Amino acid sequence: MSEFTNPDIGLDSTTPTGGFNFENVHRNSLIESQLQKATSKNNITPLATKTGTTIVGLVYKNGIVLGADTRSTNDTTVADKNCEKIHYIAPNIYCCGAGTAADTEKTTELISSQMELLRMNTGDGQSRVVTACTMLKRMLFRYQGYVSAALVLGGCDVNGPHLYQIYPHGSTGKLPFTTMGSGSLAAMAVFEEGFKDDLEEEEAVELVKRAILAGIFNDLGSGSNCDTTVIRLDGTVVHGRNCIMPNEVKPLRDSVKRSDVLNMRKGTTAVLKSTFKPRKSGFGVTLADVTVTPMET
Amino acid sequence: MSILEYNGAAIIGMSGKNCVAIASDNRLGISYQTVAMDFQKIFQMNDSLMVGLAGLASDVQTLDQLLRFRMNLYELREERQMTPKVFTNLLSTMLYEKRFGPYFCEPVIAGLDEAGKPFLSTMDLIGAQAAAKDFVVAGTCDGNLYGMCETLYKPDMEEEELFETIAQALLASVDRDALSGWGGVVHVITEKGIVSRELKGRQD
Amino acid sequence: MGDSAYSFSLTTFSRTGKLLQIEYALNAVANGRTALGIAATDGVVIATDKKFASSLVEGEGVQKVERITKGSGFVYSGVGPDYRVLVRKGRKSAQAYYREYNETKPVGQLVKSTASVMQEYTQSGGVRPFGVSLLVAGIDSDGSPRLFQVDPSGAYFGWKATAIGKNYVNAKNFLEKRYQEDMELEDAIHTALLTLREGFEGEMNGTNIEVGVVSKSDGVFRLLTPEQIQDYLDEAN
Repeated sequence: MSEFTNPDIGLDSTTPTGGFNFENVHRNSLIESQLQKATSKNNITPLATKTGTTIVGLVYKNGIVLGADTRSTNDTTVADKNCEKIHYIAPNIYCCGAGTAADTEKTTELISSQMELLRMNTGDGQSRVVTACTMLKRMLFRYQGYVSAALVLGGCDVNGPHLYQIYPHGSTGKLPFTTMGSGSLAAMAVFEEGFKDDLEEEEAVELVKRAILAGIFNDLGSGSNCDTTVIRLDGTVVHGRNCIMPNEVKPLRDSVKRSDVLNMRKGTTAVLKSTFKPRKSGFGVTLADVTVTPMET
Repeated sequence: MSILEYNGAAIIGMSGKNCVAIASDNRLGISYQTVAMDFQKIFQMNDSLMVGLAGLASDVQTLDQLLRFRMNLYELREERQMTPKVFTNLLSTMLYEKRFGPYFCEPVIAGLDEAGKPFLSTMDLIGAQAAAKDFVVAGTCDGNLYGMCETLYKPDMEEEELFETIAQALLASVDRDALSGWGGVVHVITEKGIVSRELKGRQD
Repeated sequence: MGDSAYSFSLTTFSRTGKLLQIEYALNAVANGRTALGIAATDGVVIATDKKFASSLVEGEGVQKVERITKGSGFVYSGVGPDYRVLVRKGRKSAQAYYREYNETKPVGQLVKSTASVMQEYTQSGGVRPFGVSLLVAGIDSDGSPRLFQVDPSGAYFGWKATAIGKNYVNAKNFLEKRYQEDMELEDAIHTALLTLREGFEGEMNGTNIEVGVVSKSDGVFRLLTPEQIQDYLDEAN
């Protein structure tokens, strides 16, 4: 239907047109080659934040359990000690992401938005997991692995529970249990040892937690806390955000007496100049500031 | 040397009790040669929101202009000020749009939200957000900055103590980094307004 | 604007300064089924009747009140297929807004962007104006309930209560008498149904009218089910 209407109508310069913008690519490659020559070093391209990551998912008797650690890293520095890696796709579908943090975040956000549009335009029904999987793999395949998102997609729909793994290049697998990310080997060892068909929910969540903990403690790219999400066949979802926090530092810090040397007293810092800029009164323009004339109709 | 380290920078955002501070050094360099000691890296976006941009100087200035454009347009259109949360998302979207030809910039966002509570966030050069309750850092000496902040930070600091803490964290960090320093600036954002102070620092 | 010399706008001013195509579009609206809305203190209700030309029509799949964002919805009077285009564009722009700011598009912005789409269709080559007026219900960014009307010209207005389509003059008179400043949502729903009944031929029931409601408490726009509508109708009797 909208094929016959002009898609540009209603858009302006700031409306996001979708897709990537490549206008800086040429400039960046010039900068890189110049800098390489000047410094005779090769590693001049900045690193993006990665989620080193252990992410897992399994099918149990009554639905799906997803699990993730909460560490994100920039090279070897921990960039976020408690990030969220289980992303919302639809009310009955969630997706764990590993790889470049921005890619997993933005890819799942985009697909979740497209799924909501699809639901609204097809009569507010329920999203199917296979639809989300297809949309994700098409997007990732289109970018030939350059959008580096490795995903564990799980959810329940009218056709039952579904668990998919999706690789950055767009290949997928439908499995009863799966692990991804740098901690996937540690987590898979736990799954291979403990997975059975038709686990009870409690057993399933315990197994997922153990798999994530294996990643947290054995893989350096994974760390901090354990997140879980249970999606049941009846559509209910239970989030276990930070359900295990084996690396809490607060008790440790609280037990150390903070030296008074660390409390900065007024006047410690040499100040050259100080200025104060008061907040403008109120927020924005109010009706009191303008004359209202009724619109001619 | 990475492109992000070409010009040098050190930026910290730190939260206090109903106030938030953001600090940066003043240096603009070309590799090891210093060319300016008054380079602005922190930009005010509205009454209660500031953004610090660490990275390639040209992109720092380009992004400031782009952000100001988008902020002005938003305020005209929606007749309200952008909240720090929305601003973070907007910047993240803008950076990710250039996923394959990024601006070489790592932003730090500090502000007060609608309820007057501190908001801090940071992101990498392609827009992967990380929110924090305590402090966020970016720049060529982020290791030093993390170390100083982990040591000096404590929750619920009042305006004055927050200033001294963030200033000392910054100065101590940049003194162990060749690429940043040459004095610094600290802005403390409160519900009353913004206090800006220029810091005396080493000139080497 | 179109590139071709022949794709000039159909909506060219007449010598008397009128845009006839827009007036014709308004005629199409005035011939459409009545739709109305009321903004109460704690929410907004929009409603329309869904009567068909023949009793043989299968009405199940017809949907006239549509959700656009989590907290806002449209209803229309006029040409149905034109409405669907606006609904799609509205939803798409709302999703684009959400992806950019991670915040639901405020109803005021939704109205503005939809109105500018409708305006462009009065000035572009090779297109005709939309044959619909919209009522848009939602909760604004400051938390206040809002009701807007958007016309084929692209003009938009905020209302406390209004009606469009067939019998809109009578319906508006009725609303003017019934509207109260301190009206709550439940009263507003009843008033909306009463107003609709004024111009309704035959018996109203849960299936031949549609009601959309957004309440301030949760800010979610919902369609009332036929059972819920029937309950409201029964209460009124």
